[in-house]
Amino acid sequence: MKHAVISCLHANLAAVKAVLKDIDQKGISDITCLGDLVGYGPQPNEVVDLIRERAIASCQGCWDEDIIEGLNACECSYPSQLAEKRGHLAHEWTAEQLTDINKDFLASLPTSIRRDRILFVHGSPNSQHEYLLPDMNAFAALERVDKAGADTLFCGHTHQPYVRELKNGSIRVRLQNTSNNNAEEKEINLPMRKIVNAGSVGEPRHGSTNATYVIHDDVTGEVEIKEVAYDIELTCQAIIDAGLPRIFAWRLSHGFEFAEQAEDASHVCER
Amino acid sequence: MIERWALVSGLKGDLETYEMIQSDLKKTRGVKTLFILGDMIGPERNCDALLNRLQNPRRGDLQPQCIYGWWEEQLLAEQGLRGEQKADALRLNQGEEAVTALLNAVNSTHLKWLASLQFGFIELDCGLIHGSSADIGDNLTSETSPLILIDRLTRLDVNRLFTAHSTEQFHLELTGGGLNSHVKDLNGESQYQQKVSKQSIIGIGAGEYYTIYDVGSDKTHFLSVGGQYNTKGKGFA
Ligand SMILES: [Zn+2]
Ligand SMILES: [Zn+2]
Repeated sequence: MKHAVISCLHANLAAVKAVLKDIDQKGISDITCLGDLVGYGPQPNEVVDLIRERAIASCQGCWDEDIIEGLNACECSYPSQLAEKRGHLAHEWTAEQLTDINKDFLASLPTSIRRDRILFVHGSPNSQHEYLLPDMNAFAALERVDKAGADTLFCGHTHQPYVRELKNGSIRVRLQNTSNNNAEEKEINLPMRKIVNAGSVGEPRHGSTNATYVIHDDVTGEVEIKEVAYDIELTCQAIIDAGLPRIFAWRLSHGFEFAEQAEDASHVCER
Repeated sequence: MIERWALVSGLKGDLETYEMIQSDLKKTRGVKTLFILGDMIGPERNCDALLNRLQNPRRGDLQPQCIYGWWEEQLLAEQGLRGEQKADALRLNQGEEAVTALLNAVNSTHLKWLASLQFGFIELDCGLIHGSSADIGDNLTSETSPLILIDRLTRLDVNRLFTAHSTEQFHLELTGGGLNSHVKDLNGESQYQQKVSKQSIIGIGAGEYYTIYDVGSDKTHFLSVGGQYNTKGKGFA
């Protein structure tokens, strides 16, 4: 059966509606969301309402967590002080707008959802704030999936969709300890694992302005990355009307956030 | 020039063992640096004499360079000097008596010094840490999955990681292998193989079991107190 995975909606109602319509038209009813329902965008309540109405199973994202827990994220989340300031502004605005019911809903979201050997998380199994980029050290990437007891890991948070297969791996080691005088050598064969990043519905950063999501066929294991055009102007106008930083609108209409590319995205927040 | 490091951990207040290690090291050529990778304290005995000695070395002592370990973290947490949690891990594992015993084992005059200690050292391309950068209580042993070991080396960006928490003495070298990565995104597909780089994890032991590392030859020697360091010996490469 096919199921759709969406992530990083970021309070962009027009994009969420367009993606859900695209999924509906394909006759797919099984949808999982990887979090970041809010943040940056102008319609946090509308987007949370829609996800609740449609009863879409969802993980908690880094923004969802910060909105409830208060902003104690370490500065590593932001590449510059300016970006941090804008982030804080969006955070305060979103926290002010969200109804208590919607805040409670975000607070109730799990950090991961498991279906047999498939695991859904926002950032990584370690943290909602860790970025699993497509070029991350392959062994470290495999460790994340394997340690979580999964064959396939679905994640978001980077806003760049990709499918990464890790296969035909082996590690040779030589071990010396106090009980063996001669070193013992062995070779370990590594399991095959897959990481699927669902990209971003409401804040794409893959180079184009289209919303992205993925469709997974759990029989064939195949993953398709989907791009959906939506009414960007509508969201940009709402951002400006809400008094949110104009750069958020500029980013959506340019499709690439080069001003705020994380300088060290592999950095793990240790808070 | 020969340069050797001595690596010690898990003294848990045992001044006598520390003095014996110091006297061993005097007889060992080329040991320039003594690293103490945490667990200087523990609940079993009063630790004040050892802590005094570490902070005020005697003439002839090799100056110790200390980082904090699992037991220090528990104490500092309980005293509100580290993180938001109390000594929850200790309380969970060994109960309230152990927490009380730990508090009683260390005079509060030492707290400031303990709180000032670092989490780890990076020397040359070596990381020295009590557990790992993932967790101070990370129990890395010779049986730990090499995937996890590579992850811990990658996080610290070092070629050698000296760890102490497991108390085991071992030298595990990654000697070869690789992993294929096939990535598909909206721009197309790409494939590459990541090779295992030659890296090592060294468990240094605890208490009377300690390790000498020969920087030039990259050899580790596992010793115990009173044991003879044999420079002609094989050592573990
Ligand atoms: Zn996001
Ligand atoms: Zn995120």
